[in-house]
Amino acid sequence: MIDTVQAQPDNDALVRIRGLTTVLNGKVVFDKLDLDIPRGKVTAIMGPSGTGKTTLLKHITGQMRGDAGQVLVEGRNVAEMPRDALFELRERIGYLFQNSALLTDFDVFENVAFPLRQHTRLPEVLIRNIVLTKLQAVGLRGAASLMPSELSGGMARRVALARAIVFDPMLILYDEPFVGLDPIALNQVLKLIRTLNETLGITSVLVAHELEAIKQVADVVYLIANGKVVAQGDPKTIAESGSPWTSQFFGGEADGPVPFQYPAGDYAEALGFKQGVA
Amino acid sequence: MSARMGHENVVIGSLAQIGRCGLFLLRILSAIPRSMRHVTETVRQLWFVGGMSLTIIMTSGLFVGMVLGLQLYHVLAIFGGTSATGSVVALSVYRELGPVVTALLFAGRAGTSITAEIGLMRATDQIAAMEMMAVDPIAYVAVPRFLAGIIAMPLLCCVFCGLSIFGGHLVAVDWLGVDNGTFWSNMTATVDVWDDVINGLIWKSLVFGAVISLIAVFQGYTTAPTSEGVAYATTRTVVASSIAILALDFVLTAFLM
Repeated sequence: MIDTVQAQPDNDALVRIRGLTTVLNGKVVFDKLDLDIPRGKVTAIMGPSGTGKTTLLKHITGQMRGDAGQVLVEGRNVAEMPRDALFELRERIGYLFQNSALLTDFDVFENVAFPLRQHTRLPEVLIRNIVLTKLQAVGLRGAASLMPSELSGGMARRVALARAIVFDPMLILYDEPFVGLDPIALNQVLKLIRTLNETLGITSVLVAHELEAIKQVADVVYLIANGKVVAQGDPKTIAESGSPWTSQFFGGEADGPVPFQYPAGDYAEALGFKQGVA
Repeated sequence: MSARMGHENVVIGSLAQIGRCGLFLLRILSAIPRSMRHVTETVRQLWFVGGMSLTIIMTSGLFVGMVLGLQLYHVLAIFGGTSATGSVVALSVYRELGPVVTALLFAGRAGTSITAEIGLMRATDQIAAMEMMAVDPIAYVAVPRFLAGIIAMPLLCCVFCGLSIFGGHLVAVDWLGVDNGTFWSNMTATVDVWDDVINGLIWKSLVFGAVISLIAVFQGYTTAPTSEGVAYATTRTVVASSIAILALDFVLTAFLM
């Protein structure tokens, strides 16, 4: 029996997930998941590895479809959208991939300019100014001519972030945005996420494990485990809630409702030590 | 019993793969109008698959022609027919060797490169990133490479044939002493532009170009996103393309003759 919390209905939610059930390779990833992403807020999705956080982002963008339930973005069910409507929606969503996913044939400038060149007919001088502005925001204006192979992991992530925000989208999905960032870059990226949210009212969804960073930037946190929301609230409240889920997750304990070990047979037997044998 | 079931599975698997490839072709064809805005990408791919294959095509063409000239001269000398060397070199190259050898080389050089590139794009989420940026990867990635292959193959085949005839001339005329005028006049008298050049060379190379590009793009696009998956897909491109070229060559020859 999983002790879960009921998602608080948010009437002004940009993304509304209701009864989402997803089974992948026989494993239940989401079990009637209910979740709201409030408009104009920074929402963090947290949870143990393999719990389906990235899969949830793929559901929101229509890259994956659930076996049951609905994912509504601005009131429209993503799974039922025709391709053209889905692409129109995606033009208004920025997505930061876990592995950056920069186009390796293009340099940094062209990577950031790519969405602008594909979807607009802006004059070259305007494209240049927009791209340089975004690169300046992530501290990489000077790296505009470098190729992706010349970037460190953290730099590639910041370029991918610049690309994700180049259209000033209504919704930005960040998949592990803080991995590989040094403290300076991490602080700047946190400020950038907060600034985008406060100045442009962009709704942000963060998938991350770094609690300290989440505390600084997120308005709402969802903790997902075993296919359900097991805790939700603002970062401070959720960290101090004292529930077995939050205590184990934020305390980093091996023992608790989330098993540290992947399901396996008897350890002693696997090592060749059978009970009763000296 | 199990061996028979294994064979049946292989047959069913192969047929399913051909079916999936056919459906993929329909997706490519339906995306061609959308890809018209990516003309510069098609031109870029034309350089990668065509321009960068020129060295191997030219070198191979030259040596194939030289070998043909050498072999034919000695065989025809038995019958006192060395004056026909130019004709036989040209007919062999236009009708069979030109399109087939160019296609095999093209599959090895450009086909594998297309598969590996698209496979790595999939493995590193670049394809997914394009979809997330509302850019249709079929129109942006698959169609330009497919069209570039179709356009490049006949051009490469012409280069191959030209270099082969030059190689045959080099050996037969300059080295073995066949009369230059006889070499060219016999060739022009026996080679028919429609039957040998248009049907033999252009049509075949167009079909081979389409088949190789389709197989290469399909294998890259559907590869498992792992290093091993990309390696297997690259191998499958060469194997499937080579078999398809040789089988189609027989079918086309039978229809076009």
